[in-house]
Amino acid sequence: MNCQDRYYRQMYRQVDPRLVARRWFLQQCGLGLGAIALGHLLGRHAEAKPLRGPHFAPKAKRVIYLFMAGGPSHMELFDYKPQLAKYDGTLPPPDLLKGYRAAFINPNSKLLGPKFKFSRHGQCGAELSELLPNLATVVDDIAIVKSMVTDAFNHAPAQILMNTGSQQYGRPSLGAWVTYGLGSEAEDLPGFIVFSSGTKGPSGGNSNWGSGFLPTQYQGVQFRTGGDPVLYLSNPPGIDDATQKATLDTLTALNRLRLDATGDPEITTRIQSFELSFRMQTSAPELMDISREPQKILDMYGAEPGKSSFANNCLLARRLIERGVRFVQLFHEAWDQHGNLVADLKKNCQATDKPTAALLRDLKQRGLLDETLVIWGGEFGRTPMVQGGSDGRDHHPNAFTIWMAGGGVKPGITLGETDEFGFNVVRDRVHVHDLNATILHLLGFDHARLTYRFQGRDFRLTDVHGEVVTKLLA
Amino acid sequence: MNRRASWLMTVLTALVSSALLLPARTDDRTAQPPSEKPVDFVRDIRPILSDNCFKCHGPDEKERKAKLRLDVRDAAIAQRDGGAAIVPGHPEKSTLIERLTTDDPEAVMPPPKTGKKLTPQQIDLLKTWIRQGASYVEHWAFVPPKRPPIPSVAGTGELTPSAPNNAIDLFIRERLRREGLHPSPEADKATLLRRLSLDLIGLPPTPEELDAFLNDDSPDAYERQVERLLASPHYGERWGRHWLDAARYADSDGFEKDKPRFVWAYRDWVIAALNRDLPYDQFIIEQLAGDLLARSAGSTASPLPPSDDPRVATGFLRNSMINEEGGIDPEQFRMEAMFDRMDAIGKSILGLTIQCAQCHNHKYDPITQEDYYGMFAFLNNDHEASVPVYSADDQRRRAMLFEQIRRIEQGLKERHPNWRERLANWEAEQKGRRQPTWHIVRPELDGSGGQKHYLLDDGSILAAGYAPTKHTTEFEVKTPLTTITAVRLELLNDPNLPLGGPGRSIFGTCALTEFKLVAAPADDPGKRQEAKIVSATADVNPPERELDPIFDDNSKRRRVTGPIEYAIDGKDETAWTVEIGPGRSNVPREAVFVLEKPISFPAGAVLLFKLVQNHGGWNSDDNQNNNLGRFRFSVTDAPNAVADVVPRHIRAILEIPGELRSESQWDALFSYWRTTVPEWSEENQAIEQLWQQHPRGSWQLSLQPREMPRDTRFLDRGDFLKPKHPVKPGVPSVLHPLSGDADASRLTFARWLVDRRSPTTARALVNRVWQTYFGTGLVATSEDFGLQSEPPSHPELLDWLAVEFMDSGWSLKHLHRLIVTSATYRQSSKTNPEHLEKDPQNRLLARMPRLRVEAEIVRDIALSTSGLLHRKIGGPSVFPPAPAFLFVPPASYGPKVWKEETGPARYRRALYTFCFRSVPYPALQAFDAPNGDFACVKRVRSNTPLQALTTLNEPLFLECAAGLAERTLREGGDCDADRIRYAFRLCTARGPSDRELQALTDLLYRQREHYRQGKGDARGLLTSARASVGQQVPDEMAERAAWVVVCRVLLNLDETITRE
Repeated sequence: MNCQDRYYRQMYRQVDPRLVARRWFLQQCGLGLGAIALGHLLGRHAEAKPLRGPHFAPKAKRVIYLFMAGGPSHMELFDYKPQLAKYDGTLPPPDLLKGYRAAFINPNSKLLGPKFKFSRHGQCGAELSELLPNLATVVDDIAIVKSMVTDAFNHAPAQILMNTGSQQYGRPSLGAWVTYGLGSEAEDLPGFIVFSSGTKGPSGGNSNWGSGFLPTQYQGVQFRTGGDPVLYLSNPPGIDDATQKATLDTLTALNRLRLDATGDPEITTRIQSFELSFRMQTSAPELMDISREPQKILDMYGAEPGKSSFANNCLLARRLIERGVRFVQLFHEAWDQHGNLVADLKKNCQATDKPTAALLRDLKQRGLLDETLVIWGGEFGRTPMVQGGSDGRDHHPNAFTIWMAGGGVKPGITLGETDEFGFNVVRDRVHVHDLNATILHLLGFDHARLTYRFQGRDFRLTDVHGEVVTKLLA
Repeated sequence: MNRRASWLMTVLTALVSSALLLPARTDDRTAQPPSEKPVDFVRDIRPILSDNCFKCHGPDEKERKAKLRLDVRDAAIAQRDGGAAIVPGHPEKSTLIERLTTDDPEAVMPPPKTGKKLTPQQIDLLKTWIRQGASYVEHWAFVPPKRPPIPSVAGTGELTPSAPNNAIDLFIRERLRREGLHPSPEADKATLLRRLSLDLIGLPPTPEELDAFLNDDSPDAYERQVERLLASPHYGERWGRHWLDAARYADSDGFEKDKPRFVWAYRDWVIAALNRDLPYDQFIIEQLAGDLLARSAGSTASPLPPSDDPRVATGFLRNSMINEEGGIDPEQFRMEAMFDRMDAIGKSILGLTIQCAQCHNHKYDPITQEDYYGMFAFLNNDHEASVPVYSADDQRRRAMLFEQIRRIEQGLKERHPNWRERLANWEAEQKGRRQPTWHIVRPELDGSGGQKHYLLDDGSILAAGYAPTKHTTEFEVKTPLTTITAVRLELLNDPNLPLGGPGRSIFGTCALTEFKLVAAPADDPGKRQEAKIVSATADVNPPERELDPIFDDNSKRRRVTGPIEYAIDGKDETAWTVEIGPGRSNVPREAVFVLEKPISFPAGAVLLFKLVQNHGGWNSDDNQNNNLGRFRFSVTDAPNAVADVVPRHIRAILEIPGELRSESQWDALFSYWRTTVPEWSEENQAIEQLWQQHPRGSWQLSLQPREMPRDTRFLDRGDFLKPKHPVKPGVPSVLHPLSGDADASRLTFARWLVDRRSPTTARALVNRVWQTYFGTGLVATSEDFGLQSEPPSHPELLDWLAVEFMDSGWSLKHLHRLIVTSATYRQSSKTNPEHLEKDPQNRLLARMPRLRVEAEIVRDIALSTSGLLHRKIGGPSVFPPAPAFLFVPPASYGPKVWKEETGPARYRRALYTFCFRSVPYPALQAFDAPNGDFACVKRVRSNTPLQALTTLNEPLFLECAAGLAERTLREGGDCDADRIRYAFRLCTARGPSDRELQALTDLLYRQREHYRQGKGDARGLLTSARASVGQQVPDEMAERAAWVVVCRVLLNLDETITRE
């Protein structure tokens, strides 16, 4: 066993890598090397090493966040408003609109009744739209929150707010905070992985999974289902595995010689980076190859090997979680129904309902759901008022629905209530900051103490806000 | 746990050292029991108080609990119920200590819910400090720097392996001596030149440059290299990129649409300004208020190339993101941009975090929310304008055209000496021609729709926000007029439109597909009827022309623009446009539409104007709109109304009596009038032809002051919907005052920022320059010099450098020269156990730090060593290879254009890579390049597997490996060993050791066999690396492929991408 291997193995134990490295350098290699810069790998960094773990025993150890970008209509999916049907075609009460700003419509537009039927499901008797027949079969495993509110009513700022706790760009995303706080258990994969499906990319772009002022290694790494899952993963044409191996062996040998000459511990990290990249070249394609999944699993998700779809991404999310990836976020931007409400919602639910339910069932049957937090939701809801003729709704920040499952979430409950129009929250209001505080709580963090010093201030995901929603906790 | 990195390291080192039974000591702080030596308020006490107490007992009055203030001594020692918080000399009587140490959870401070708790050591320090008299000292960064005495040489000489070269060394060595550390010897010459070259120009030295330096034994050989590199035009590129981080430069708008924007001229201005060593104070003033400087200098049309044009410099403020997603409130995002500008100024110029004070008084620093909006008020009075920019070539072309036009006109005047008389006749005729009376009608706007509209005071409408590429906008007006025979549509300029409009297309132009009018009686508005338009006239009627390709709508229809008839012909393919070619299309225009039958309602009418605008392109997420920008509707009851063909500016001149007109007004008048003289058609034609040769040029986002300043208000919690009292322009009282006679302009604010009396401006800048060379600033928290900042490692050196910098006339090159000629900079970067033991973070600089170069330089090293680098300076950003899928949904929100370069532009320096904020260029992002979302004054330096994949497999890096291989085979000698040595030296500036040579030779031999035996696909490798394959026989290809493999290793060496 050579020095590097020993060091490397030790690094993966949850021992302070700096102490380990220091001892190793002094004892094994006779070099008086310091402890700086040894922690870069996989989200380990000298300036901002990950916390050594949560503040208290976590319920959830990892997260799958199904981000339904565009603003799904709560009134067509989760929040049944029979009264709204009655008011269809009438103007909303003026009081309701005081101080209300809408994105596209004149707020004083006619109300539009719900477009789909609802019925009760499961032991819990939660009301769900007919668009979600598959979710209905696992509804006892989820906690529906009908009382979400946000501050923004345009896509990009609202998505950034949901994902980073601020409408201003430049803050770390939830996934970055979590990976920063918990580190990664995946040995040869990034700790925070992002997929994108749907008709467009998310409005907030890369900043939805950015690391903000946290070190860049905590940012989400975008995977894709066609071609290389990770950018530049494949060897160039003409470089086969043997040549790649020879290349890395030579690189390592030369870098080690330089390490001896300069004594710079950063070179050790570089050597490890290359070795890890080589391992990723094998592990990532293997991971992405869902063709080896049993047919019944593929069928359950509606996944098709070789295609790009939300269904495939759901299945991949499970595979990533199994490999120790801390945070997987699937963006599905398709929910912005200013028009075509009925047809597009049908289409979206056809694409997402089955794989979403399959993911929950699959996690559960593998015993993973207990420790995996699954979140479903978008950046805002939609107006009870119509946009256009009779088949569209505008953006609405005052009320929307999300759901959570697994990882310490109380299953089979419905939290919160909106008024008869689905316009305002009337009970158990949950702000974005409260949701994020709750997510962090489930992961074992006091959201007020998961901080990072930047610009002379201790920043946190929830800014100066956020209350843990205890009613959601199992 | 203390969050300061150096503290962390101190603790860590102490831990480790004691474990290993080594002496534990790196810092005065832990060296002696606190009781034995005077406690330093600034270093020891204020950080504790600031971290734990000031949030509730600090400068923010609103947050203050129990009316107790601990950041000011008088308040802290004041007698209160139950005693004073601090009783100087008596920790036991101080309620502060009592509350910190009590067991009572109700009383203990800080409150447990804050999660904060003082360590016993910290409490001891506080006790000692109180015992010693509890003296407060003003925060160092708020006291302007004074030039400190330079430590004497005597004290430092004995430890010196190489002689100190300038004051920097004396400060550094004095501290090293105190810590018992020894500076390192000077690095070898090759390392030195590579270091210097990477640091000053961001490129490695060529073999020729290395040889010249190695063979130069003159005593000032090094200094001459410094001068050579400082004079290189690449210096501005390397250090320009550094400033562009702080200036949050990017080539796109950000947010959802993230459309390309036109700001490269600003980038070029930065590069040029640094190259000519524009004094830093002037550098800042021009970026904040260059337009005002230009204005006071009297220039309107810019004679300067963009890289020297101070109006272009205001792009600094315009680098904020712009949100044009559908349904936004443009004012909300104008305010967001304002906040961003404040943040950028705070971080990049002042070194202070003023952003906190947007919503509330700063919790730690004495900057109030009132202060924040005082500074804000200086910046809040501008149009978001754009100015045309023309390259030097374009400018020459323009000058030539204008000269030719002038000559033709001069010829006309000479051949027709009676022209003044004829013009006077024409003028009389014009004045005699009665214009119809137009009644301006003002629509009511309800704020709906994707594109937003503002109704301006003059009754005109300004379009803003989202710009759909195909849409119909409708405007309803009421008029008491009982008869309407015609309506007029005016298209007006506005500084907030591209190039001043009147349209919203990137050229500031627009196209009107159809104009329609619906009318109803005012007393029966439901009874709507379309009012048929029979004829239309306009003051511009361009010939039919196919749409510019940027407006392609993928319909394959032939879509054209042309005269005003095209707006009433009922055809979706034709439109009226104001576009008559670059250089003269951005002027007001008007069209008059005559109704078939007058609208005649006794109670007045309700009119609905429909502007059909379908001449944009297919992609509304790109710059493809062709919309009207600012426009106004009027109606008349006059019969036979026609558009006034005489342009507004000519009408204005006509209003001036002849004898009062200036020469240029006469010229303008003549230039218009000659077009109306039929017999001069030949000359007019010739001039038209010349105008068609006018260059398109480019444009730059900039600022333009409003006539009337905005009413800046204090915003409750920073919410633009909650304006409170008005705020006058002002500056924080903790900083230096404004000069007495200052006005409220941006220029005043700019000058204040770089006032010599500013305590932080010069320090912040020299600190960041230092940070770039040494990895960490003298103040590690380079974005924040406030109370929460880390104390400087060398406070005297920081001040000395700041004062020296100002005294040099704010010369950045002087600052660089000082640093790179210091013995400290010239030290070896070799690490030894003593250094690592005593100063693991290398804050004391007993050696030079070894640093992985910045993202752009990683790329530039590969381009440069391979010989592929295209060294052109400036110009529009370029599109090197990138994965295509990144630019189409669902990876990106909308489809983006990334037209991969195939010519030399493929190999431009990395700083010219087009930067989409929402889709950062992956090869640069992997190496921590910021994407311009916000000001960045300190890059992270990570080391990840994704970096390894990038340099190994990314196409352009592979092309560089192939380029290096070809260059090596061409220039590197005849035998393998020589060639390996040559390539190795290109990458590292040194020759390989025997073992290194052996390792590479082994690889070469094995790979040569591998490809010769056909195990590897040599042709595939060479082709994908864009290496020439030509007629090569297989062995030859195998040989080349093997060299590509070797060169790929060399480009991936840690040493290659490291500045040693």
